[in-house]
Amino acid sequence: MNQEMKNLCKWIINTAEKNGAKECKATLAVARNVEIRYRQHKPEIIKESTTQNLSLDIYVNGKYSSQNTPDLRKKSLGDFISKTIKNTNYLESDPYRYLPDPEYYIGRSDVDLKISDPEYPNLTAGQRHYLAKDIEDACIEKGDDRLISVEAEFNDRYTEIYILSNNGFEGESEGTRFGTEVYLTIQDEGNRKSEGFLIISSRILNEFPGAEEIAEIIVRDAYQQLGSKKINTEILPVIIQNRNTERILYGLLAAMDGRNLQQKSSFLLDKKNQIIGNNLLTLIDNPLIISGLGSNLFDSDGFPCKERIMIDNGILRDYYINWYYSRKLDCEPTTGSSTNLIIPPGEKSVEEIIKDLGRGILITGIIGGNSNPTTGDFSLGIFGQLFDHGKTIQSIAEMNIADNHLQFWNKLIDIGNDPWKYSNCQLPSLVFKDIVISGL
Amino acid sequence: MKPISRRKFIIRTASAGGTILIAPYLGGCLSSQTNMKKSGYFNSEFGIDDNLCRKLLETAMSKGGDFADLYFEHTISNILILEDGKVNQSYGNIELGVGIRTVKDDQVGYGFTQIFSEESMLSAARTAASLVNTSAVPIKGLFSNPVVGDYYPVFSYLNEFPVSSKLPIMQVINEKCFNMSEFVRKVTVVFQDEMKRIKVVTSDGIKAEDLIPGNFCYVSVVAEKNNKMESGGWEFGGHRDFSWYDPKLIEKLSSEAVNRTLIKFDAIQSPAGEMPIVLGSGITGILLHEAIGHGMEADFNRKNISIYSTMIGKKVAEPFITIIDDGTIPNLSGSVNVDDEGTPGKKTVLVENGILTGYLHDKISARFYNVEPTGNGRRQSYQYAPFPRMRNTYMMPGDATPDDVISQVKNGIYVTDVSNGEVLIGQGDFSFYVSQGYKIENGKLTAPIKDINIMGNGPKMLENITMAANDLSMYEGGAGYCGKENQGVKVSFGLPTCLVKSMTVGGTSQKGGIS
Repeated sequence: MNQEMKNLCKWIINTAEKNGAKECKATLAVARNVEIRYRQHKPEIIKESTTQNLSLDIYVNGKYSSQNTPDLRKKSLGDFISKTIKNTNYLESDPYRYLPDPEYYIGRSDVDLKISDPEYPNLTAGQRHYLAKDIEDACIEKGDDRLISVEAEFNDRYTEIYILSNNGFEGESEGTRFGTEVYLTIQDEGNRKSEGFLIISSRILNEFPGAEEIAEIIVRDAYQQLGSKKINTEILPVIIQNRNTERILYGLLAAMDGRNLQQKSSFLLDKKNQIIGNNLLTLIDNPLIISGLGSNLFDSDGFPCKERIMIDNGILRDYYINWYYSRKLDCEPTTGSSTNLIIPPGEKSVEEIIKDLGRGILITGIIGGNSNPTTGDFSLGIFGQLFDHGKTIQSIAEMNIADNHLQFWNKLIDIGNDPWKYSNCQLPSLVFKDIVISGL
Repeated sequence: MKPISRRKFIIRTASAGGTILIAPYLGGCLSSQTNMKKSGYFNSEFGIDDNLCRKLLETAMSKGGDFADLYFEHTISNILILEDGKVNQSYGNIELGVGIRTVKDDQVGYGFTQIFSEESMLSAARTAASLVNTSAVPIKGLFSNPVVGDYYPVFSYLNEFPVSSKLPIMQVINEKCFNMSEFVRKVTVVFQDEMKRIKVVTSDGIKAEDLIPGNFCYVSVVAEKNNKMESGGWEFGGHRDFSWYDPKLIEKLSSEAVNRTLIKFDAIQSPAGEMPIVLGSGITGILLHEAIGHGMEADFNRKNISIYSTMIGKKVAEPFITIIDDGTIPNLSGSVNVDDEGTPGKKTVLVENGILTGYLHDKISARFYNVEPTGNGRRQSYQYAPFPRMRNTYMMPGDATPDDVISQVKNGIYVTDVSNGEVLIGQGDFSFYVSQGYKIENGKLTAPIKDINIMGNGPKMLENITMAANDLSMYEGGAGYCGKENQGVKVSFGLPTCLVKSMTVGGTSQKGGIS
């Protein structure tokens, strides 16, 4: 962040104090976004923008308000700040609402996380077009005459953030993110079409997979789903493919959230240091992974980020508790939200697991569904493949799995060796026994 | 923020439902009169006059293109939260900027800026123009206002009232919830209001301005009984007047939130497998949104990637079924006086007497199909280009009573509340999450059920609707949104009680092969 913006941040803090804020924290963010999507060998959309935003947290007499504005002109900001403080005064006071004790800011790592690609400024419009077009071409090349449509998008984002509080916190970060979203449609039987959908993200452009690799994944997935049908309702083992485990895991993470714990809407309340899953289940939150998509040196409270073992061999070891809810829960804070999530991989590939598993379902996609953080009940739409002793029997669709998290994670029986690396959730495929698969 | 999947879905941040009949609303409130508050705002506040708009559009079309448009937005939103008995948190957000689009055939160039300086806006226009590289195309020199309706007739805007005027409403709700049951342990009340001002100016001579109020009040309850915890909630909202949040509504909101939580203590495990489903009226209209609405958005059809791409003019349902997407129902979340491309809000028939009749169009797809835009060109904010989106989607009522419909089912499920859904456009497979319902045994409602997903296929489900009751009602919430291609827009939907012969219930006990 340039010095002019840092000076503006200091001015905002000073102005807030002069207007009566006892405590305040200002976050300035600027970003540049570019998005190019190709379809039918030509750009379908070209989009480019630069954004800026101020997020201002105000604490007045135990009252709290957080306000955002993109208008960074000093005159507008002056009005914005005084109005924010005036409105904050209307609220009821909250004895738990104040900035963290500054001693919690101490201990930040000085490691270079390499979350900003130094080559970003050299990325040209022509290269961006090429990257999107190359993915579209590779998908078309791997398809056949049933292929109806490929939409291939390349997007990139550069972000700078500067945070300053009036009780001694100062933090700065700079990051890049490169991504692709690819959608592929193939003609199936009758009016039905099979779809492939893939999102890939990377901090460093050189770590971005090639067009061939991207096309290989999405074309395989879409063609595998051709002819999919519902099967009978059964109890079967399931393998949840690496890219989809995140969706199941978030049901567990929601119950580890400090607000849900304090509001008694968590099925993991009072379960710390208790068994909540099979001993195969270990979940690590590591914000210090080099070039990690969720990496950062400090969290939203300004606390130094550090690696945490959230679940250790099936035992719940930690919660996500920010400063505010730690005050309300009368406990030490951890951190407010997840960063890079890791489940250590197993030794076998999905193909090897399928050979050993007998009859089961490989879940390659999840559609809809939800998870209740209060009770742990969840139910999700699924599609994928029915297999038997290593052979695919048929593609399945319009089906569902349902369970309760406190039982479900005890049914974990194996873990694949295939962590998905293009997300902040570097999760491998997971294998569960005795799952109700609803169909016919 | 995590991206919203291309696989479209509806998410409610709160539970919601509808009980007001749609019929009295239909046909009323059409007016060409534009509220004075809606015109001239961007000119008076930011100096955005016709000359400047002309210059920006000329720049956007300086390298060619079929048309260009400007979308100015100034939105102020506020959220107040009551937690643990106190209104102790306030969150606010300002959206301010202009999005500039150049269109050539089905290609879009898009730039936006948050700074209303001529230099910054011209830069955004040049970004949009970079899509094409031919010669400049002249724009229409004079702009005219389209004739639009007033579908959010609001006289007391929430944002014009001080924070202090909203606190008592929230405190009363909190007290009511605790007083209703000894089992209530926690209550959260969220009161949101938003004031969105937009101005759309197009190269084909349209200039439209609108003032769009949006708000909701959401109540969530956590209860404890016999060492078990349950949570639930309810909300009301839309393009509402402050006076709408009167004691009667507050009473209803509180009791719905508490009752819908407490009944979950009696819920049993839901059966799994295919079975008949009766959808209660109102919020269950999410089924139409997922099963047919998204598939009828014309961008998916002009690309031939929707399962409905070849079904126009064909029979898709029983003759008693007519499905409509309507932007003109007063005060509902999905209503639009004018869409985000400058097209007036309209009513669009998707299925008429069982026949698929038309798509939902933005300007690009309307040009492709050589039809008029239907007023479905919508966007989340100035940071996004518009494309076809639903507004308020519903099915017309039938002749039966709700009890008649339920009595047809020997063993099945009756759905009363849903929270979210998703669809695969090509396959037509969709799901929606039932947060609350009942088993049906021998034509009667029996034990409550909860937290199950229901799966189906759009065209198959339409064929399988065999009965509809006379009790159409609309979702009257304001907290839900529809996600598509990383953009969220407010929508509503409705349904009369109706019977679907068979869908897959994602439960955990007996039925359908589980012994």
